[in-house]
Parts: sequence; C-alpha cells; structure tokens
Amino acid sequence: MNRVLHPLAWWIWAGSIAIAIAKASSILLAFITVGAVAIVVIRKSENAPWSKSFQWSLKIGIWIIAIRTITGILIGVPTAGTKLFTIPQIPLPTWMAGIRIGGMVTSERLISTGHDGVMIAAIVALLGAAASLASPHRLLRSLPVMVYEFGVAVVIATSVLPQLVASLARIRQAQRLRGQDIRGLRGWRRLALPLLEDALARSLDLAAAMDSRGYGFSRKRSRYRPNTWRFSEYLICVTALASLQWPVLALVAVAAALIAVPSQKNVAELNLVYS
Amino acid sequence: MIVFSNVSLIYPTSTKTILEDLSFKVSEGELVLVMGSTGSGKSSLLRLVNGLVPHHTGGILAGDISVNGISTREVKPGGLAHLVGIVGQNPLNGFVTDIVEEELAFGMETVNLPQDVMRKRVEEVLDLLSLAHLRNRSIATLSGGEQQRVAIGSALVMHPKILVLDEPTSALDPIAAEEVLSIVQRLVHDLGLTVIISEHKLERVIQFADRIIHIKGDGSTVIGTPQEVLKASDIAPPIIELARALNLPDISLSVRDMRRATERLRTELNDIEIPPHPAPPMTTEVVCVEKVSHSYGVAPAINNISLSIGAGEIVAIMGRNGAGKSSLLRGIAGVLNINRGKISVCGVDPATLHGAERTRTIGFIPQEPSDLLYGQSVIAECRAADKDNKIETGDTFALLEELVPGISPNTHPRDLSEGQRLALALSVVLSAKPKVLILDEPTRGLDYAAKNSLNATLRNYARKGCTVMIATHDVELVAELASRTIFVADGDIVADGSTIDVLLSSPAFAPQVAKIMSPAPWLTVKDVVAAIYATR
Repeated sequence: MNRVLHPLAWWIWAGSIAIAIAKASSILLAFITVGAVAIVVIRKSENAPWSKSFQWSLKIGIWIIAIRTITGILIGVPTAGTKLFTIPQIPLPTWMAGIRIGGMVTSERLISTGHDGVMIAAIVALLGAAASLASPHRLLRSLPVMVYEFGVAVVIATSVLPQLVASLARIRQAQRLRGQDIRGLRGWRRLALPLLEDALARSLDLAAAMDSRGYGFSRKRSRYRPNTWRFSEYLICVTALASLQWPVLALVAVAAALIAVPSQKNVAELNLVYS
Repeated sequence: MIVFSNVSLIYPTSTKTILEDLSFKVSEGELVLVMGSTGSGKSSLLRLVNGLVPHHTGGILAGDISVNGISTREVKPGGLAHLVGIVGQNPLNGFVTDIVEEELAFGMETVNLPQDVMRKRVEEVLDLLSLAHLRNRSIATLSGGEQQRVAIGSALVMHPKILVLDEPTSALDPIAAEEVLSIVQRLVHDLGLTVIISEHKLERVIQFADRIIHIKGDGSTVIGTPQEVLKASDIAPPIIELARALNLPDISLSVRDMRRATERLRTELNDIEIPPHPAPPMTTEVVCVEKVSHSYGVAPAINNISLSIGAGEIVAIMGRNGAGKSSLLRGIAGVLNINRGKISVCGVDPATLHGAERTRTIGFIPQEPSDLLYGQSVIAECRAADKDNKIETGDTFALLEELVPGISPNTHPRDLSEGQRLALALSVVLSAKPKVLILDEPTRGLDYAAKNSLNATLRNYARKGCTVMIATHDVELVAELASRTIFVADGDIVADGSTIDVLLSSPAFAPQVAKIMSPAPWLTVKDVVAAIYATR
C-alpha cells in the first residue's frame, strides 16, 4: 500500500516556505516557488475533495493582488518618483494629513502595492497547498487529545473549510440548473446560504459521530497504525526549515518534496463521488 | 437493556412536542423498528438512546432513560461508546478517516485499547461484515452499501450491546439494502445484539422486527408487535395495503406468509385472461441521446448510450449505486460536459442553455433539494421564483399549496420536513413550466404520504405533455408511477421497456405485490383490486 506523509510534515513544510518567501520579499522567488509548489500539488496530492483547496487559494490570491493594487492606488501616503498618471484627489480635513485619496500615481507606488499583494497571495497559496496535500481528517486525528478541551468546536472548525470546498461545486451546479448564473454579489448571496448551511450540517454530523464513538472521553489514545515520521518527512521539513535562514533554499525544499515523496494518488484511488 | 420511563422531549426553538410521556423497555436481543412520518422525531428518539439528545443537540428532556443500568443524563455520549453503537442517517458525514481499516480502528483508538486487541477486533469485524477485500480502500470510493457496512463495522468494533441505525437503507438500491439488513438480522441472531432501527421503506424491514414503535408526530406513540401496530396504522407498506384490500383476517409480514395466505385467491385469479400490455404510443421525441460516453479519469461512467424519450412519458432510471444514473441525468440536464456523443433536449444542446431559457426547457431536482433553495422563508423563496420566471406574484406559492397544503409561509426552508422541502423545490422548478423535468433520487427520506403526493404531481405534469425522468431505488414508486423503465448497469443500458416488463423480469427489483401475486403481472395493490373487480 502506498504510504501517505504525516499531515503535520506538510503543514511545517508549507508554513516554513511561506515564511521564507515573506522574508526574502522577492517577487521573482515568490512566483517561482508558488509555480513549483503547484507542480508538487498536481503530482502528489490525493484525488480527494479537499485537493481543490489549492485552486481556490490561487483564485483568492488573484483577488488579493487586485484589491491590494486598487486600494494602493486610491488610498495611501504620497510616494515620490516617476509620475505615471493622475486621478482626481478628494480633499480631506487637515487633521488627516499624511493620508490622501486619489492624486498622482507614481510607478514606485504601483510597484510597492503590487509587491505587497503578491506576497500575501503567495502565503495564501502555500496554505492552500498544505490543505490540498494533507488530509484534514488525518490531521485531525494527529491532534493531541488535550485539544478536546476546546471540544467539538475544534472538530467543526477544522472540517468546515474542506467541506465547504467539496459542497461548493455541487451547489453551484444546482443553482445553475435553476437558471442562476452565479455572477456578482447577488449571485454569491444565493450561493453562500445553502453552502454554509450544508457545511455546518455536515460538520455537526461529524462532531456527533465522533462524540458517540468516544472521542475525547479517554485522556490517552492508542494508535492502530502509528503515523510515523520517516526519511521523507524529515527531509522536507529540514530543507523547508533551512529556507527560513536562506530563503533561496525554499526551491530546494520544493524539489525535495517533488523527488522524495511517493505519489499519494492511489491512496484515495478515484474519487467518483465528488468528481 | 434499555428503559425509557416517562420520557418527554421538546426543543426550545419549536412549539411542537416531539415525545410525550413515553415509557417502554427493550430487552436483550430484540430488534425494534421505529416508524413515523418525516419530521415526526424518529431520529430524536434514536439519539436519546446514547444521549446525543440532549447532550449534543439541546432540548428539554423530562423523565429518565437508562441503558444497561446507566442513566444517559449523567454520562456523555462518549461514555456510552462501549455500550451503544450508533450509525447516522448519512454515514459519509460521520466518517473521521479516509481508509476502511483506519475508520474501523478509530473508535478503539479513542478509548485507548492496546494495539493487539485492536488488530484482532478489526480482523473479526472485517470477516463478520465481509469487508476484508476492501480493507485498504478509500471510503469515498466505496458504494453506498459498502459504506453503510463500514459504518456498522466501526460501531461493532467497540463490542456494543446495542446498535442504533438511523434509516440505514434509505439511500441504497434494493440489493444493497438486502445485504445490509441481512447482516443486521444475523447480528441479532448470532450475537444477541439489541438493535433499534428507523426506516421509511417499511416493506424492507417489517419482517425482521420484533416490535414497532410508531411515533404519531403529535407526541403520542403506539408500541406493539408489528401485526398489532400495522393493522391500525395510517402508514403501511404495500404488503399490508394488499392484505387490507383483500380483507384478509390476519396481516402477514413477509412475502412467503402472504403467498400462503393468498393461495386460494391466486388460483382463482389464475384463469383470468390477462390482456396483453399495450405498447405506449410513440410521441414526438423530446430528449435524444446519441452514442454518449463519459468517464471520470480512467473509470467509465457511461458507455456509448443511445436513448430517445418522447413527450408525456414518465421514465424511471434504475440501477445500483454508481451505475451511471446520475451521470446520465446530469448529462441530459446539461451540467455535465460529456466526453463523447451528442445530447439534445427539445432540439437544442442542453449545455448551451442559460438563464430563463434553461428553466423553461429543463427542470432539475438534485439529490439534495435544499441545494436549490436560498430564501430565508418559504414565501421569500416563492417570490424569488415568481420574479425569476416573470410570472404573477403568488403563483409559485399557489402551486406549493396545491402540492402540500398547509405550509406556513414564514417557515424557514430548513425547518420543513424532507417531503415539504422537496415540494417547495418542485414548485420552484415547476413554476417555470419546463418541458422536461428530471429528478435525481428524490425519495430519500420520504414517507408514504409524501411519495403519494409526489406521484400525483408528476402524473399530472406528464399528462400536460411534459416529460419526466426520475432516477430512483424505490421500486414501489416506479411501479406506481413510471410508464417506462430503463435499467442501467456499469454505464450500459441493460433493459429498456415498459415498467411492467422490466420490473417483472428481475426478481430483486420486483415490487412486493408482484412477488406475492407472481406469476400474474400486477405491480401494485390497485392493479390487483382492478383485476378482481373485473372478474366479479
């Protein structure tokens, strides 16, 4: 049977790379790394409902870049530099000196706001990659029992997001069948309500099932098939942690994941239910 | 084993009493069936047994419930995990892990059993439920019946004394349902397990039940042997309806007993000349499927299917879970982009339809009717449909009133019962007057009354010259409703013909009445009564 990596290893790997990118603050490195991570996700993630999380995080990332750039142009501190164009400026009271709405747009200002947007989007994309690569269910099982003090809330919180992604496609399809093309704010409102209800209902079901199977009842837990840390886990974590010091190593960490991790595709075989 | 003493239950958000002053005892090795119409509180009663109600859901509980001498008031559900195994209505929502073997072990891990004990019990359960060949499979790839067995298995590894099953066969095809129920039956007989089961499709379970608890919906309950309860109940499967229609003195619960009871009648009826079934007249073609194939990844879902359906036809599509029913219907509805072949509905490619043009051509009810709904109240939902379809304000609600009278317009759609929600989704879809109506397994969780009203609605609708396609596991509904039945297996059409021919040719899919009256070709109680009247 194919082995699946410890979910925590994936999260450490993705988290470290995200920090490394933010630390290096280089757009080039951010783009190359996210591109390489995308290859890892395509090659290594299971064919499971939550594997689409990465795609969604990319979409969210594009929105972040767009919003950040637009607000950066409209609102902000005046930056000196080459003038690109000027938009009408809205006069503000004197006590708000230092902030302005509209006005001259310089290429420096455009680059710096775009740069910030890319950084945030890259971090979001890496978190999405971790969510795609590590099964949320398996991660949940690796949590220490102490967490149960937060009780059922943790179960619901950790499982709601992947389930949202899984339900989204189904409900969007149903709404399309009702003649609704999901566009604009009104469309999203029509989508969001059934989506949240569905995800919440599923998560409550899961929490009830775990509750009745004794989850959190005993302080100690035994392991049927221990989730062991082996060479692959150590390799990707060590290389990723090293990139915290030398950000360029982030690429090595991604390459390590690409080479050392066995394909997890066959683990969840073909997922007909959600595809 | 289980003692309910003077139990009453209400939920603070609703004014309805779920249970009132219910007292009963269940002894070891009993199989108790809980029946009632949708939303009457069957699930609540089941969840009371291990304390999920009220510990998990809230609600005000009076009286006391004790399980093996432990009061559920004092212990949380987790503390009863070794005594009560519970399988929810939708087992897929309750799975914690991804792999069959790990899922079985999960409960034992949480109560900290040593590894060697776990290994042994997992092997035992794998054998007991014939799951050994699936041990390393991902749960999401299993069929519905297999998933249900895994869910039962993961409860059994805890060696419980009581097994609680909430509608275990509602989503299953007849064969998978039989598979699950025969395993339950074996557990009761071989291990002396106490089982409490709720089910809408009574015809599947009454023959196994020792006692029935009938929840009336107004708080009152009736408890007794199946014969006592069913004789007077307003909810009855076809076998009971038949016994009533034939004025038999005793009620039989199984096909075998019923055949014995009707032996004389059947020989009398044997001599009747049965007119040959008239072939349905060919009408104008509405749906045309030409050499369509589709696959997900490498697994084929539909294999080179060709099909033609005319106006006014009611077509049932049957087959095992995963046979390709949903893929075919979604292809016809135009939401699934098929790999190869051509589909046209009313002369157009359904995938190109948008907005109002789509709703006027195709209406689709998905497996979860609530996916279609987003309003905050029934009336808001209906108004939105009026506006979308540009019809008179109030028309959609009037349609709903026709389907199920008496729904309060200010109710939130989520608070409706399963049948009412389906009716709401149906009226929203039908208000656009589509030419083709497609339903994907709509009868999950519907009681007999809701099914009858669905039946009448669809027949009326087809009489106006519209086409209805319905995918379902419910043979009794198909027998009542459909004029034509298509049987799909492994992506191929294996049978396509008039309902009577298709259903009678396969013993597993034959309705109860047909099994009792075999070899006479009658599918429903109505058919039998009509035949008897014709002879007298």
